[in-house]
Amino acid sequence: MRETVISQATIANPKSHYGNAPASTRHFITQRVTGGFNVLFLGLLLYVVVALAGQDRSDMVALLGNAFVGLPLAALICIAAVHMRNGMRDVFEDYFAGRMYSLAMMLNTLFCLIVALAAAGALVKLVFWG
Amino acid sequence: MTARARPTSPHLQIYRWTITMAMSIFHRATGIANYAGMAFLAIWLVAAASGQDALNVVNVIYGSWLGQVILFGFSWSLVHHMLGGLRHFVWDSAAMMEAGQREAMAWATIIGSVVITLLIWIVFVWVG
Repeated sequence: MRETVISQATIANPKSHYGNAPASTRHFITQRVTGGFNVLFLGLLLYVVVALAGQDRSDMVALLGNAFVGLPLAALICIAAVHMRNGMRDVFEDYFAGRMYSLAMMLNTLFCLIVALAAAGALVKLVFWG
Repeated sequence: MTARARPTSPHLQIYRWTITMAMSIFHRATGIANYAGMAFLAIWLVAAASGQDALNVVNVIYGSWLGQVILFGFSWSLVHHMLGGLRHFVWDSAAMMEAGQREAMAWATIIGSVVITLLIWIVFVWVG
């Protein structure tokens, strides 16, 4: 499918409503807010990895199975996944356009969803079912 | 959604490297590395949730020398991207944008990330 040619005049003219007006601001704010949470995430991740690296399942259940550790970690991983998707969008916008961009973004969303669901799901399992 | 391709810049080789440019590239590169690295965290947690046998396999791979090298790189990448992000928070308040200031902050990012990463590994892994 051929791309519609968009001239500079179309972009410059406010009447053509080129692009999604609030999308970039939303992207900017989302990336800052999730980024702030990611500082907390790295702190908790450091604590968890230092305590559990190379340890057995029983030790991991003992620490991550504690709802006050496992559930915040799961929530922070989901927030990090939003940050990941948003950040990768910045990269894709620079190098892809049109349908190729849509495809890349679909794969991006899929990867972030899988990582978040797998990690958070594993933590929820550890918390509620051991 | 972008409707047409953005203009791409000439190849990196034609530029004289500056520290601010290098840290901008590092921020994107570490972001992409963290993106991929999060899969390692997910795999570890899923293995722990599924059973001791799966966890043993992951522990052997992550504990191997190659696994440790990758995890060391991942930890540096996380720290570097965090410091780069904090630098953006400073810029969001329109501070530290003058010539000299931004270079100082760029140097602080790379030196800080290496020092913090080494400290983490020295204190918690190599000595602790």
